[in-house]
Amino acid sequence: MSTGIHETAVALSVRALTKTYPGVIALSDVSLTVREGEVYGLVGENGAGKSTLMKTITGAIQQDSGSIELWGEDLPGGDPHRAAAAGVAMIYQELTIVPEMSALANVLLGRLPSRLGFIDRRAARREYANAARLVGMNVPASAQAGTLSTATQQLLEIMRALASGRRLVIMDEPTASLGPEDIQRLHDVIRGLKSTGHAIVYVSHDLEAVLEVCDTVTVLREGRVVETRSAADWTRRGLIGAMLGGIALDAAGTPPAQALLGPPLLRIEGLRAPGVDVSRLDILPGEIVGLAGLVGSGRTRMLRAIAGADPIEAGTLWVGDAQRSWPRTPRQAVRLGIVLAPEDRKAQGLVLDRPSAWNVALGQFGATGRRKPVLLKRLIAWARRATERVGFSSDRLGANAGTLSGGNQQKLILARLISRPVSCLLLDEPTRGIDIGAKEQIFNVTRQIAAEGRAIIWSSSDLDEVVRHSDRILVVAGGRVVAELPRGASVHDVLELSFAATTAAEHETEVAA
Amino acid sequence: MTMTAPTSIESTGLRAARAFRSYGIVGALALLVAAITIAQPGFLAYGNLMNILSQWAPVAIMGIGMTYVVITGGFDLSVGAIYSLCAVTAAAIGRTEAPVVAFTVAILAGMIAGAANGFVVTGLRVNPFIATLGTSLIISGVTLVLTGNAAFVVDFEPFTVLGSGRLLGVPYSGMLMVALMIVAGFVLSYTPFGQSIYAVGGNAEASRLAGIRTSLVTGSSYAISGLAAGIAGVITASQLSSAQPNLNPNLVFDVLTVVIVGGTSLTGGRGAIWRTAIGVAILATLQNGFNLLDVDAYYQNIIKGVIIIAALATVDWHRFVRPRSGRRPSTTDL
Repeated sequence: MSTGIHETAVALSVRALTKTYPGVIALSDVSLTVREGEVYGLVGENGAGKSTLMKTITGAIQQDSGSIELWGEDLPGGDPHRAAAAGVAMIYQELTIVPEMSALANVLLGRLPSRLGFIDRRAARREYANAARLVGMNVPASAQAGTLSTATQQLLEIMRALASGRRLVIMDEPTASLGPEDIQRLHDVIRGLKSTGHAIVYVSHDLEAVLEVCDTVTVLREGRVVETRSAADWTRRGLIGAMLGGIALDAAGTPPAQALLGPPLLRIEGLRAPGVDVSRLDILPGEIVGLAGLVGSGRTRMLRAIAGADPIEAGTLWVGDAQRSWPRTPRQAVRLGIVLAPEDRKAQGLVLDRPSAWNVALGQFGATGRRKPVLLKRLIAWARRATERVGFSSDRLGANAGTLSGGNQQKLILARLISRPVSCLLLDEPTRGIDIGAKEQIFNVTRQIAAEGRAIIWSSSDLDEVVRHSDRILVVAGGRVVAELPRGASVHDVLELSFAATTAAEHETEVAA
Repeated sequence: MTMTAPTSIESTGLRAARAFRSYGIVGALALLVAAITIAQPGFLAYGNLMNILSQWAPVAIMGIGMTYVVITGGFDLSVGAIYSLCAVTAAAIGRTEAPVVAFTVAILAGMIAGAANGFVVTGLRVNPFIATLGTSLIISGVTLVLTGNAAFVVDFEPFTVLGSGRLLGVPYSGMLMVALMIVAGFVLSYTPFGQSIYAVGGNAEASRLAGIRTSLVTGSSYAISGLAAGIAGVITASQLSSAQPNLNPNLVFDVLTVVIVGGTSLTGGRGAIWRTAIGVAILATLQNGFNLLDVDAYYQNIIKGVIIIAALATVDWHRFVRPRSGRRPSTTDL
């Protein structure tokens, strides 16, 4: 698989890189070598030093000691322009596409070719076509970037890097918001770039994807290189073990619900909303229901409709055995005992420049005492119980939510949900972009919460996760529940059903058109 | 992983910079007071200070309401128009009715106008800038139609007590201003409603999903702004014992200036009543100092303009610095 790579030129050479921040060692004596035509995987928990390493290579931050060489050129560090000129490009998880502009303008952003002060359209189209060929993309140059899928926007970003002559492309969590098909397409693009002599650094929590596409994988832990091996010599378990420090995790998943006692906690009938159509859904107390589906299958819309976050067209809701009017606002849903942890933690879940305890209390500031002034001190004391349950360190309750890792931010939101008297928790992508340790904690807590007789409906793009941590799996496609699978179903079944349903739905619309 | 994460890696330098950003404005005020006192010791005379208090009470009170609106991420251009409407209402009714009745009706009118702003912004979902520009024109127009652009003079001694009365030299209007600031500051900092104001300005969608009635909170802030403009209008009418439409067309800019100079962020989610109090003190000191030192009124405007720009440049300087030095490393995701 990686034969031949060892004879190619060295693209990136990092030697004995060390970076400390006051009170913490972010990188310690890190060395690695990336060759032309190599896909180099970098894995580790949040806080392992991946971000610092990437930022040091791209010149965003300056190392304390150690050297970085790109194609033999020694980079002084801390100079993003020089790093870019030497050929480094970084593709962030949050894409930097300008949605209002065309695909071409996005690819050639800031460097449109010009002649006599005017844009040279012919040269621009040529450059666009060259870059498009490299990634095998056939999106017209004039397409408005904002109307394209996330996966295509990501390709535009890769094209931008290639069009400006970058030869080392660092990708941060490239698969985080992609469905299985798009991941395959991205990996094909990456394999194509290998053959043209580009070097790729692939940073990801998605271990299956890393093992599939990378030639070499390095595990980082606490700022140090734990081990570097050829991808063929790694297994998923081995990677996890190395990331966590030799302790292999129990891969068995969440234990099953003890006993599911009817009557249903929640019954949904005839729910219709834009992009959502659910004829009937019963949620039993104590169960964890997983929504599995491809990106764009309508999982988020479904959860948001149930949580009163988006308007619906029709729907009947029973809570216990009483029929209730459908919640028109999240506040009404909370009153019925239904509460949502939204998909995008930062944009929809938290007020980032406010303390953690304050964020737990968001929406219930009166909880610390109706007649007492709201004080941070009181909020911290009050939030302690809920945050301890979700494994959030109470020392950090005073720290602003924006300074926390994704895992801790998710725990804060979870703490907010369980600090109110709710019976049904809707968790949309609770594990996206968070490290394995935090994931396990979240799964444990959700099981405990469910065991108290509450119900959980959750979704994840990681099908393997959904399958392993749900009592019941609802396969979602085109906004409908197309199949229901019991605990222990295989990822293969889920994928097959979703693909079948998606194709059928597409066929239907074609016929209708 | 959380176990090994450090509790704080913030350097003392960074902390100092943040402290300067938060409290530098207090230092600026102290410097200004010191400079003007040295140039003109009469500035600190009791009588002078009390006059400043009475003169600036309307702007300060409107600043309270504006602070609420700005923290929700909004903007209220209509306070000048509401202020005039309420002053005229108070004077018109005060000619024949008891001052209490006149003042109450006028203040209620201000609150209703503010609530209408809130409805346009949250219910009709019009951008706050445009919404209040529109209502400002409507309210001014209504005031002119109702009065025929005539001035109302109240010839009734009790009507002037609120604006001109004093106790031991302290103007009632100044006392009212201080009392309102204390109450408004307490509500903002220590009550669930006040914290919801910050929440909505900090992240409206997160607040809504967490169960906060964001429209109600935002709408209330406009109603409070209208209420404050009403109180200010009443005070002015009482001070002048008369009122006319278009009392002070530039008033809205003074109100915005005191809020912004104090350091309340126009992007929402950050700010405080004490900041607005400092903003008022800075502007009042400056203006009074200019008068004492006989600075030409034209120059005063130039200097005020420079100060507004300087204040915003100080408050938001880190936004310019951040992208170049890379995002500040978060404490855990190193």
